Amino acid sequence: MTDYSRRKFLYRAAASLGALTGGWLLTGCGKEETPTQIAATATPHPTATLPLGAKEPASVTPLPASATPAATPAPSAAASPASSLSRPELVVARGGDPEEMVRQALTALGGMERFVTRGDDVIVKPNICVAYHTYEYAATTNPWVVGALVRLALEAGARRVRVMDYPFGGSAEQAYVKSGIEEQVKKAGGQMEVMTKFKFVDADIPAGVDLQRCKIYDDVLKADVVIDVPIAKHHGLARLTLGMKNLMGVIYDRPAMHRNLGQRLADLSSRVQPTLTVVDAVRMLMNHGPTGGNLDDVKQVDTVIASGDLVAADSFAATLFDLHPEDLAYVKAGASMGLGRSDLDALKIEEITVGG
Amino acid sequence: MVDKEGHRRWWKPVHWVKVRRFVQAIALLAFIVLFVWSRRGGWPAGVVNAPMRLDPLAMLGHLLASRTFLAGSALALIIVGLTLLLGRVWCGWLCPLGTLLDWIPLRKWDNRQPEISSKWRSTKYGLLLTLLTAAVFTNLTLLVFDPLTILFRTLSTALWPAVDQIVTGAETMLYGIPFLQSAVGAFDRLVRPVALPIEPALYRYTFLYAGVFLGVLALNLVAPRFWCRYLCPLGALLGLLSKFSLVQRTVTDRCTQCNVCARACPTGTIDRQKDYASDPGECTMCLECLAACPADAISFPVRIPRPDWNAYDPNRRHLLASLGASLAGVGLFQSNLLSSRDHSHLIRPPGARENGLLHKCIRCGECNRACPTSAIQPAVVEAGLEGLWTPVLVPRAGYCDYSCNACGQVCPVQAIPPLSLDEKRERVIGKAYIDENRCIAWADATDCIVCEEMCPVPEKAIVLEEVEVPTSDGELVTVQRPRVVRERCIGCGICEYKCPVNGEAAIRVFVPSDECGVEWF
Repeated sequence: MTDYSRRKFLYRAAASLGALTGGWLLTGCGKEETPTQIAATATPHPTATLPLGAKEPASVTPLPASATPAATPAPSAAASPASSLSRPELVVARGGDPEEMVRQALTALGGMERFVTRGDDVIVKPNICVAYHTYEYAATTNPWVVGALVRLALEAGARRVRVMDYPFGGSAEQAYVKSGIEEQVKKAGGQMEVMTKFKFVDADIPAGVDLQRCKIYDDVLKADVVIDVPIAKHHGLARLTLGMKNLMGVIYDRPAMHRNLGQRLADLSSRVQPTLTVVDAVRMLMNHGPTGGNLDDVKQVDTVIASGDLVAADSFAATLFDLHPEDLAYVKAGASMGLGRSDLDALKIEEITVGG
Repeated sequence: MVDKEGHRRWWKPVHWVKVRRFVQAIALLAFIVLFVWSRRGGWPAGVVNAPMRLDPLAMLGHLLASRTFLAGSALALIIVGLTLLLGRVWCGWLCPLGTLLDWIPLRKWDNRQPEISSKWRSTKYGLLLTLLTAAVFTNLTLLVFDPLTILFRTLSTALWPAVDQIVTGAETMLYGIPFLQSAVGAFDRLVRPVALPIEPALYRYTFLYAGVFLGVLALNLVAPRFWCRYLCPLGALLGLLSKFSLVQRTVTDRCTQCNVCARACPTGTIDRQKDYASDPGECTMCLECLAACPADAISFPVRIPRPDWNAYDPNRRHLLASLGASLAGVGLFQSNLLSSRDHSHLIRPPGARENGLLHKCIRCGECNRACPTSAIQPAVVEAGLEGLWTPVLVPRAGYCDYSCNACGQVCPVQAIPPLSLDEKRERVIGKAYIDENRCIAWADATDCIVCEEMCPVPEKAIVLEEVEVPTSDGELVTVQRPRVVRERCIGCGICEYKCPVNGEAAIRVFVPSDECGVEWF
């Protein structure tokens, strides 16, 4: 070891450090170009009025390969285009075992194949906001609803299905176990991923009205399909936390969202664009949300709402709480941005009852 | 080497040194592994706090100060027994701090032979006696000098967070290079959350904690293992026991007085004036002299010990001086204002305040490490000098997780009581107060409600009240204002932690005021 002198060591250390910084600078400079350009040309209402639920890449990556036409008029069914006209835009399943409700709702919607194509990288985003209580307390998404979606996505040929959330109370590992979601996801063949700090990358929100840039989880941006699985529950500021509110789990600076929350949630949704939204209303938390902890606040209604249209799913879920969709600021903002529809009367809705 | 009968010996004395170094490395590794997995979600509490319970000084101090015997602390008898058998093997073979001091000798920077009078060795005995007499008066402040607590605290509050920051920085940088992204992701899954935290662990005064440790290391510049020779109170305790150990170093008449052993001895206890004999109370049984001796004149026979008292060993005068020092110290601590009226932010871990924490806490820092949000930090100012490095909850650093009771489980001496999760959830550690001058709902007339949203209490200890207020333009707006329901608040501090107001939060947890903060004995 004596021939490895200090000088030699320092030379090598300097060389490798130089190479690293060189690489970093090169890639860093390349990255910096695009955001500044976009930021300069960012207008409140660009053309990106893509209806959610269309089988489009979930992320708007600058790669030309994924830059498919942005203005598809209606959910274009990849699997069976012929029957797309008679297909409902939103399905409500009631009265059965959670797994069966999800399965039948998806079948009525045209099958998971409509949303997930073979080889897709799928991320399921349930609401696992705290590590405090088991699923009966309705603070976290029903584990069987999540498990069923993982299974359906894998059956549809997904390359892998990852489930993740970033709890605000307690650690992710604990929350995953406590909520019961980890067990069901693993049974279904999916993976639980703990979200890590450095993967929250700066992302532009070209369609953003109030929020044009924020740190979003890179894997969510890059995934082929994002499935949003909120639990329907009470929230002090947003009134209810549903699909759009659930997307707050994929960004880093959440307190910043609280100013002008409704518009900012809609802005965030325009960027994340879940392909499918499934609202878990098996048990609803009627008060003291989002954390819960009192079974008296829980109302069991055994309902699952599924739609390719995030705004529509949230709109219908609002009615379960005897609220009008437009009572929710984010639904209002989302509808006015063209992210989806809140006019439930004009929406093609199929309600099915699943035998208990 | 050839022995007396002319046979080739395969086992040479130098092999003993190699065995010792191996054992030292394993012990240090075990200490660090147990440290890493003492974060909640790691290994069982009884396993990860075992090193602290092996420490006879901390356990004896706790026994004297708390006047309670815990079955778990009997583990320290292993080290006591080992010392009575083999001498200070803890110091030479097992102590993780001693191993680090061996590995980082710093002698290259200073090649002088130490010229320190052996009188200074009595410092550690003075420290030990003061510590133990103060413990009799229920004070344990001097345990901050225990080597295990020093190392553990440094690891949890300075070294590990720094390593985490460096790793996160490297990951963030390398993640920017497209073809490295999957490799960085795979690496991250390997180290988080197993060894490094997901949310960065942030501590106050990290420079102070690191500084104490670096100071102990830097003393190696003056003499090898300076800390162990002159200062370590645990070494002093084991040194006193070693005077009665069965195995002791002896020099036979084969000695040629070549002085090689004296120069090899890391604690400098081999005395030329005494025919190269050594003091068993100072000898760490490192066996360097055995390996170095060219005349094969050193042996370690088993025999009935005949304790030999040196000038620097503790005597009656030392004992009286220590007694005086601890009396004066305890008196001063008691007359300190902080001992009768708490610092407003001296929020203790759940159950610790009413449990008489000060008379039980051995300052080991296991709770700092176990706390998953790094809310528990060593106190520097809040608890005064008396409570130096006792646990204090700092809500701006982290909150008391409603799903966690790790601190009470991991505490080796139940200074933080081992509450069940249900008990802990109801334990009041403080009360939150809103600063209406700075809260967004008042100052900006804007909705925020983050504190209400975060409140984990099932009925919500923070409720919202809708009020109509004029903005600066005179226009009337409806704002949801938070209000703390005092009887429901448990003081977990998640509201203070998450409050979006920059700097000091607009909602802060204060010590509960409806009970007396101090316990008289």
